Amino acid sequence: MILTNLKNGQEAVIDSVTGGTNATKRLADLGLTPKTKIKILRKALLGPLEIEVRGAKLVLGRGLASKIIIKIY
Amino acid sequence: MEQKISIALAGNPNVGKSVIFNHLTGLHQHVGNWPGKTVERCEGTLYYKGYFIDVVDLPGIYSLTPYSMEEMVSREYIAIRNPDFVINIVDATHLERNLLLTLQLLELQKPMILSLNMINLTEKIGIEINEKELEEILGIPIVPTIAIYGTGISKLLNAGIKLINNIPKASNYKIIKYGKEVEDEIEKIILLLGNINSKYPKRWLAIKVLEKDAAVKEIITKEMPGVLIEAEKSTILLEKIHGHDSSVVVADERCHAVSQIIKKVVRIEVSLRVPLSEKLDRVFCDRIWGYPILAIILALIFGIIFEFGNWFSLFLENIFSGVIPWYENIFGNSLLALIGQSAIDGILAMMFLVLPYVLPFYVILFLLEDWGYLARVAFLLDGLMHKIGVHGKAFIPLMLGYGCSVPACLSCKIMETHKERFLTAFLTTLIPCAARTVIIMGLVGKFVGIFWALGLYVFNLLIVFILGKIAFKILPGESTELIMEMPDFRTPNIKTILIQTWLRIKDFIYIAAPIVIISGMAVQGLYAFGLLDSVADFLSPITVGWFGLPAATGILLIFGILRKELILLMLAALIGTVNFLEILSPVQMITLAIVSVFYVPCVATIVVLWKEFGWKRAIAVSLFEVFFAIGLGGLVFRALTILL
Repeated sequence: MILTNLKNGQEAVIDSVTGGTNATKRLADLGLTPKTKIKILRKALLGPLEIEVRGAKLVLGRGLASKIIIKIY
Repeated sequence: MEQKISIALAGNPNVGKSVIFNHLTGLHQHVGNWPGKTVERCEGTLYYKGYFIDVVDLPGIYSLTPYSMEEMVSREYIAIRNPDFVINIVDATHLERNLLLTLQLLELQKPMILSLNMINLTEKIGIEINEKELEEILGIPIVPTIAIYGTGISKLLNAGIKLINNIPKASNYKIIKYGKEVEDEIEKIILLLGNINSKYPKRWLAIKVLEKDAAVKEIITKEMPGVLIEAEKSTILLEKIHGHDSSVVVADERCHAVSQIIKKVVRIEVSLRVPLSEKLDRVFCDRIWGYPILAIILALIFGIIFEFGNWFSLFLENIFSGVIPWYENIFGNSLLALIGQSAIDGILAMMFLVLPYVLPFYVILFLLEDWGYLARVAFLLDGLMHKIGVHGKAFIPLMLGYGCSVPACLSCKIMETHKERFLTAFLTTLIPCAARTVIIMGLVGKFVGIFWALGLYVFNLLIVFILGKIAFKILPGESTELIMEMPDFRTPNIKTILIQTWLRIKDFIYIAAPIVIISGMAVQGLYAFGLLDSVADFLSPITVGWFGLPAATGILLIFGILRKELILLMLAALIGTVNFLEILSPVQMITLAIVSVFYVPCVATIVVLWKEFGWKRAIAVSLFEVFFAIGLGGLVFRALTILL
């Protein structure tokens, strides 16, 4: 399942990040590494998602978010 | 005894870094570019307890990878330029995320101080940080600060001075260890590196090899050919064990190390109360309501600026109305005097026509930024901006473009890749700045109707959108996706807003104004010699034949390259009245306004494009806009002639 499938308020853990190493690396630098807990705060009508990860709020573009494979626990 | 020292400020974006920088240096700062890069370099000086301190505010970053120019600039500065100490500013309310960078900075093994900023807000969100414990773990002095009130700033400096005087350099930090498997590989690579000649610490180089850092690999290949292949065996080994890319393994280990630290030093009191910022977000970022609210806020901004600007403009004009007659009295009407007068005209026009609108606009914009709303706008509009190949943050330079194109182009530095910077800069040149607003409002708004004028703004956005889409397809290079921290809403800080505004206005005064005034004198000279009449004749197939405008517009358009609003002022001067209906029909007015908006960036903007992107791109943008406006102007004239 990918991150964009989650509904507002739902939580999950990151399983892996697909796409190039560049995207993977950038996300890892922000603390989005495998097994990290992630919560969807809200989705904008036009595109991006706001998530909560490691106690901080992040906005990710939809394309990037759809590269994040998650597991619901 | 006086001593010169240099310090660097490092930290994530939005942690109050620039607020601390402003407290340290006040207005003794200048903003430039890092050599050869379109990355903003803020530097300032201060004098403190016998020290002349040079402060460099490094760009806000999350990591020290070679993938972004900001991060490269930061790590090179710290390692190679070797500041006396680094102040790492962290947001105490988001300690976990911030410490990820702190660990990487520690790996550069420079004397460092941690500024635990926004410490006053920790209680509000229900956390408590054990500073002593954190100090123990990291081995560096920790100074709690509240940047917006200036609390703790002098303590930072005192701690730094202690650091460089009492303690032997670079001996205070502690090495934060990774997991055993990673540490084993780091050890191996350090051994391989032997006595490598590099300003970077060996341990740092080793970690970066595991992170597959291209720039570090280059350094090693250059210094010790052959070692890299051996070192890279470690990355392969790690990948085999963990099943991920080795760079992710290292990042994951770092995250793990940080969360262990957090467990030790942060006590969380679970609170069931929804924070105010989250409540506001439920309104401002609502899936549906977020958009009408945004529209209302934008309408309010433009309404306020228009009303205030008109009043302010009139106020200034009344004060300075005597200057020109006074000048003519003294210097008469000689050729030289006329050229001099054009300089005074230029200065006055900027004061009456541009500043009264640009100034309040930037104050309001930076108020919204400091409050946290602009990040919400980027969130709301990201999808829309993606259609033109840039992400939500591009909204900020575009918005600045409604003030003056010069600071707007300069602010494109907030975009990540070169392509995005250039694309955004190109689009900002098409946005009607305050000077072009003078034409739209003074010509179309006044004589054709306010709805036609507003229609022109909508039409303009449509064109920007279409051109953006095309340019995105054509331009080489890559675009990135939006990755942005969502700052909490917070009370805006007046000082920050005023300094931010001043920095942009400074761009306008120091860059735009001199270029405009000097080239204005040159063109005035040509005009006085009658050379521009032949230019007007030469242009008449376009101006008269294609646009359907009077031949004199050729001269106007030449002057308009200097400052767009000159088109209107010169028109009034040429026909000797401000009742433009005498020589222009409504259709002609709309055509002239559209041509004026698009036909070329003003000379100051061209210079900024040249500085930021090179002369080839500056010329390409200018020529494109000339041809585009020629095409568009004629089509609009014909279409409107049929319709009206």
